[in-house]
Amino acid sequence: MLTLTQQETEAILLSLRVAIVATAASLPFGILVAMVLARGQFFGRSLLNALVLSPLVLPPVVTGYVLLLLLGRHGPLGSWLAEYLGLVFAFRWTGAAVACAVMGFPLMVRAIQLSIEVVDRKLEQAAATLGAGALWVFLTVTLPLMAPGIIAGAILCFARAMGEFGATITFVSNIPGETQTLPTLIYTFTQVPGGDTAALRLTFISIAVSLGAILASEAFVASVARKVRAE
Amino acid sequence: MIFFLSPTRRGFFCSLVAAVAASFLPMPSGGNAAEQGPTVFAAASLKDALDQINATWQKGGGSPATISYAASSALAKQIEQGAPADIFISADEDWMNYLAERKLIKPDTRFDLLGNSLVLIAPKNSELTAKIGPGFPLAALIGDGHLAMANTDSVPAGKYGKAALMKLGVWDAVKDKVAQADNVRAALVLVARGEAPLGIVYATDARAEPNVKVLDTFPEDTHPPIIYPAAELAGASSPEAPALLAYLKSASARATFEAQGFKVLSQP
Amino acid sequence: MTIEVSAETRLGSFKLDAHFVSDGRLTAIFGRSGAGKTTLINIIAGLLHPERGRVAVDGSLLLDTEKDVDIPTSRRRIGYVFQESRLFPHLSVRHNLLYGQWFTPRARRYAAFEEVVELLDLGDLLGRGPPQLSGGEKQRVSIGRALLASPRLLLMDEPLSHLDDARKQEVMPYLERLRDQASVPSIYVSHSVAEVARLATSVVLIADGRVAASGPASSMIAKIKRQALTE
Repeated sequence: MLTLTQQETEAILLSLRVAIVATAASLPFGILVAMVLARGQFFGRSLLNALVLSPLVLPPVVTGYVLLLLLGRHGPLGSWLAEYLGLVFAFRWTGAAVACAVMGFPLMVRAIQLSIEVVDRKLEQAAATLGAGALWVFLTVTLPLMAPGIIAGAILCFARAMGEFGATITFVSNIPGETQTLPTLIYTFTQVPGGDTAALRLTFISIAVSLGAILASEAFVASVARKVRAE
Repeated sequence: MIFFLSPTRRGFFCSLVAAVAASFLPMPSGGNAAEQGPTVFAAASLKDALDQINATWQKGGGSPATISYAASSALAKQIEQGAPADIFISADEDWMNYLAERKLIKPDTRFDLLGNSLVLIAPKNSELTAKIGPGFPLAALIGDGHLAMANTDSVPAGKYGKAALMKLGVWDAVKDKVAQADNVRAALVLVARGEAPLGIVYATDARAEPNVKVLDTFPEDTHPPIIYPAAELAGASSPEAPALLAYLKSASARATFEAQGFKVLSQP
Repeated sequence: MTIEVSAETRLGSFKLDAHFVSDGRLTAIFGRSGAGKTTLINIIAGLLHPERGRVAVDGSLLLDTEKDVDIPTSRRRIGYVFQESRLFPHLSVRHNLLYGQWFTPRARRYAAFEEVVELLDLGDLLGRGPPQLSGGEKQRVSIGRALLASPRLLLMDEPLSHLDDARKQEVMPYLERLRDQASVPSIYVSHSVAEVARLATSVVLIADGRVAASGPASSMIAKIKRQALTE
C-alpha cells in the first residue's frame, strides 16, 4: 500500500515543482498588485480588483479554457510567445505552472493586501524624515512589515497550486511526466478499474503535503509576526 | 533584517531558496529519455494492452513511450490545440478523419489497427439477465438506476452505444437514464463499483475488469464497425515514432492485443 | 541657524496662517491642543503641503509655493522626533539608530555613533528590540536616531506627552544636554509651560492657527504663563 510507483513519484515531484514555480513567479506581481490595490486611488481600481479576484469565483474549467484560448499555440499571446521568445505553455509543465499561478493569485494578493493595510504609515513617514526615498522606504520598512502577509499569501498560493485541477487539465491536459500532476493522477486513478488503492495512497500524500505546508508556515508566520509587531 | 532569524530559521530559509531555485532549472535528465521516446495519445480502452506493449517495446531497446489515455474525442481536440504527440490511436474513424481533414496526420502512415465489439455489462454480483434484440426491455432492467456509458455525443464508445440502442428502438426509453462518463473506462468503473446497474463498454474492457460480467454482446449490424485507426501525427518530433508505429503491427504486439480480446486488423 | 517659516493652509474647518523667524538653539512652539503646532512643523518637515507657504533654513529654500519649489521630505535633512517615537519594530535599537546614517552621505555626517550613544545613555539598550523598551527609553532612542541622520534642524513634536511623570523627569536632562552639547538647533512643540520654561531659548506662541507672539524665552515665559492661566 505504501510504496510508490515511478508514475506516482513523477506526479508528486511534478506537482511540487509546478507549485513552487507558480508561487515564486507570482510573488513579485502579487506584491505589486497588492500595493496598487491597497494604496492606489485611480480610475479602474474596482475593475482591477474584480479581475484579480475572478479566478476565485469563476469555474476553474472556464479559467483553464480562457488560458487555452490566449496562451495555446494558436492563441494570440501563445503564438507570439512561441515565435519570438520560444516560450510554449500549452501542454507543458510551464503551462501547468501558469494555470496554478492564476488560480492561486487572488489568494496571494488578498493576504498581502491585508498585511499592507496594517502597516503603520507613520513608520514610513519616520523613515522619510531620516532620508530614505520612496523606494528605500518600501524595501527597508514596508516590505519587512508586510512579511507575515507575504508568507501567508505564498503558502496559500502554494497549497492551492498543489491541489489545482480544473484549470490545469483543461489547459495542459494529462501527459505523464509533463503535465500529470498529483490531482490529475488521482483523477486518472478514479477512472481506471482497480485504481482505488493508488488513488487513496496519493490522496493521503496530497493531504499530508498541503497540511504540512500550512502548519509549518503558520508557525513561521507567527514567529515573524511576533518580531515585527509594533509596540 | 535577516540577522533577526535564529540559525535554525536561517537554515530553513536558505533551503527554501535553494528549492525554489532548483525548481526553475530545466527538467532533470530523467526527462531526456522521455523526450526522446515517442508520445502516444491513445483511446482509453487501450490502456492495459498498450502498457504491456510499451514494456516489451522498452525491453527490445526502444525509449520509453509516454502514453496519455483519454477519450479519443478529448485527445483529438488536444492535438488540434497543438499537444505534442507523435502517434494517435483513435477508437473510431470519425476522430481520425477529423484530424486528417485538418492536415494534422501523416496520411500515408494511417492504417486500421484493431477491431472491437460492444457489450452490455453489469456488476459481477448482479442478478440481471438480458438478451439484446430489437425492443428488448432495457429501461425496465435499468429500473431506478443509470445506464453507464461514455459521452454519447463525442466519445466513440458512447457514439457506438447510442447508435446501437437507436437501431434496436430502445434509445428513447432509456436516454434520460444514461450516466455519461468522460471515457469508456470511467463508465466501466461506475459499473464495477456498483454505482450503475448496467453499462455499455467494449468487450475488451469487460474482460479486463473482474468486477463486471457481460450480459450480452451487441450484434455487429446494430452499430458502425468498431475500428481503431492509428497514425503518425504531422507534428511528430520523436525519431522513434515510426518504429513504434510499426511495432504495433508486430507479432508480439498482435499477441498482446488478441490476449486482451481485441480483433487485430492490421497486416504485419 | 536661521529658519524662516511662512504657511497658509486650510484643513477642514481649521485655518493656519502662521509666519515666524527664529535663530535660537531651541525654539519652542507653544500653544494649546488644536492650535496648529503639529500642522506647522509637519509643513516644515515636508509631511504636509500647504496651499501657500515658504520655508527656508539658513537661506536654503525648502518650500516656496510661488516659485514651485517643494523639496521632498527625504531630502530636507530635517530630523523629526514624533510623539510616539515611531521606532522600527523589525530592527534592533542599534539598527534603528543607524538607519538615518545609512542615507546620509559620508561627507555630510557630523554625528558620531558613540557620541550620540553617550549623550543619550543608550549603551545598554543597543542589543534590544523596540518592544522591550520603556516609553522613556524609546524616546531617547528616537532622539538618537534623528540625530544620527546628521540633520541641519531637529523637530520634536511633544516628545514627552506620552510619558508619565517619572519618565518625563528621566528624559528631560537628555533634552537639556541635547540643547547644550549637540550642534544641531531644535524646534520643540509643546503645550506644557514647565517644559518650555526649562528648555526653550526662544518661543513662538500659536493660537487658533496664528502666531500670537514670538521672541526670546526670557521675555516670552511670562506671556505664556498668562496664556496658560486663561485656559
